[in-house]
Amino acid sequence: MDLTFSESEAAFRDELRAWFENNDPGRSPEGEDAAYAWRRDWQRRLADDRYAAVHWSPEYGGRGASITESAIFFEELGRARRPLPANVLGILLAGPTIMTFGTPEQKERYLPPILTAEEIWCQGFSEPDAGSDLAALKTRAVKDGDEWVVTGQKVWTSGAQYSKWCMLVARTDVDGAGGKHKGLTYFLMDMEQPGVQVRPLVQITGEPEFNELFIEGARIPDENVLGGVGNGWRVALTTLMNERSGLAFFLQVRLRQLLDELVEEAAARELLDDPVVADKIGLLHMKAEILRLTAYRGLTTIEKYGTPGPEGSLTKWMWSETNQELAQFAADLLGPDALTNGNRWAYELLRSRGNTIEGGTTEILKNIVAERVLGLPRLKGAAA
Amino acid sequence: MNFDFSEDQHEIKRTARDLLGQRSSLAKVREAAEGHRYDDALWTELVALGWPGIAIAEEHGGQGLGAVELAILAEELGYAVAASPFLATVMAAEAIGAGGTPEQQAKWLPGLASGEITGALGEVGGLVPDADAAAVIVLVGDDGTARVVARADADVTPVDAIDPTRRAARVSADGGDPLADPAVAVDRATVAVAAELVGVAQRALEMTLAYVKDRKQFDTPVGAYQAVSHRCAQMLKDTEGARSATYFAAWAANAEPERLPEGAALAKAAASDGARDVTASAIQAHGGIGFTWEADVHWLYKRAQVDAALLGTSGKHRRRLAALLAARLAPAAA
Repeated sequence: MDLTFSESEAAFRDELRAWFENNDPGRSPEGEDAAYAWRRDWQRRLADDRYAAVHWSPEYGGRGASITESAIFFEELGRARRPLPANVLGILLAGPTIMTFGTPEQKERYLPPILTAEEIWCQGFSEPDAGSDLAALKTRAVKDGDEWVVTGQKVWTSGAQYSKWCMLVARTDVDGAGGKHKGLTYFLMDMEQPGVQVRPLVQITGEPEFNELFIEGARIPDENVLGGVGNGWRVALTTLMNERSGLAFFLQVRLRQLLDELVEEAAARELLDDPVVADKIGLLHMKAEILRLTAYRGLTTIEKYGTPGPEGSLTKWMWSETNQELAQFAADLLGPDALTNGNRWAYELLRSRGNTIEGGTTEILKNIVAERVLGLPRLKGAAA
Repeated sequence: MNFDFSEDQHEIKRTARDLLGQRSSLAKVREAAEGHRYDDALWTELVALGWPGIAIAEEHGGQGLGAVELAILAEELGYAVAASPFLATVMAAEAIGAGGTPEQQAKWLPGLASGEITGALGEVGGLVPDADAAAVIVLVGDDGTARVVARADADVTPVDAIDPTRRAARVSADGGDPLADPAVAVDRATVAVAAELVGVAQRALEMTLAYVKDRKQFDTPVGAYQAVSHRCAQMLKDTEGARSATYFAAWAANAEPERLPEGAALAKAAASDGARDVTASAIQAHGGIGFTWEADVHWLYKRAQVDAALLGTSGKHRRRLAALLAARLAPAAA
């Protein structure tokens, strides 16, 4: 057991610290579009020095970073308070999925502009009637010559308004022979066509972070099928598996920073001597540390044994729950300030409610833990 | 970065699990608990294997291994809910070994390492496990001091505590020989308690999983119902969280002692609450049978309750963590 970084890991961390020190994009500008453009520029700077996707192999513009080095990247990105690159879904989800299932032509066509943020990606999985039960999705793709014609609706598509491409899962076999997981196909859909309409979905914070996607007769050429017709479930699972790693380290650091800032605010208001306040701060500190330590244990398990251990299923659950608890505590501690629009803690209080839903609800994570980690039987009709 | 045991450490864990599985089955634990006595044959065997001295320096007759190896054994003895004075003895040995004067070490460690004597450690006013039979007691005061007291100089009153797998007592003493570094002494003992609690939680989780996979109601294993399976998922989360904190603390004890105070507080806060919640959940998931004397889950619940109160409740350690965090942030704020 050695919880210090190896020489090469420490060197990578120091290199990143120096780079982030010298590369400061400044504060995010006001306005949705300006903020997005700012993150796009930031990604170009990262890409210029091959930091946009360190876990990608060098042939695609990455550094072939180990999973620990990739974690270090996200930890340092958060630590330096730099933003996530604009094309985060392309880098973390679309890219690795295309690397796994793409043809040589697809890799060559799609991967480079993901890195440079020239082409932004969004994820078209969830539908109004297919959330946790993803395989219940109804968006249909019908073959027409050497094209597919797509009709349906997607929801929770973050960044769709800026996206050139969509990772789209649609039903290509409506007979449903062999169950609802069969007959799905994974497409790379061009968003810039009349059959695709993006409508912002305003969330409880008042921001339109997500969108609805209305697809009416959109056309996708044959060569944009990823991983073969009818293989969409398997390809989609690869995307979802990627979703649950990597980011954890960025989020873990952000949680730590939020907690530290809250403690500083509490100190400024001379509230730290209250034993109830101290107890709660201690609890949140403990949970934040346990999240960090458990995430690192998970890395070791993957690096040493090749497959994720129980830790991997627990970290997203831990983070989302703790982030909510932290925001709720800020409201208790800071009173009316934390309930006033425009205050950052008020924002956290609202935004954190999404944490236990986005990227896999806590209920689905518990199903996954129960079934795949603990080996408990599955109730008929339930899924993980 | 390697947050996993070495091959040798894994081997210690496997060996301990196998041995205790054979020598300290739940039937044996029951026998000892109901008979209000210890499993002397087990202790003799553990002594022969050198377990009490695993983390005692070689110059004092121990094996000279570290806090991680000790945590592994404490965890496995907790997993077995073994009826033995192991934890009490190693807590005393850790305290004297890490925080004692050279004279205290020379006087007590060889006997503790060889199993010739047993030790105990606890707080004034608290329940001190195995103090009555111990030759040496480390008494921790609420002012942060700790002193070494020979059994003959201590006033020991046995207490019939709720955990019948262990013998508790209240201890007071007028004199005693102060430890040179009580803080590190108590923190290292605290990590050993946390490790035992992790083992207790792990066992409660495993017993529960076996039960809910087997027990059927409405023609379905109850573990298939989400009310039960989600409870089990929570038990895993609590157990693994306590494990992450405890292994970190054990590692820090030797490798980065400046992080031990925080590590010990993290470990004890997480393991106390984790083991209490997990063992309570185990009783609930076992249903009516879990509430009976006949089922074995109550040994775990009782051990968790008494261990959680040793060397500071989770609340005390959380407030300690808050103070450590505030102190770390203070220079930045100033």
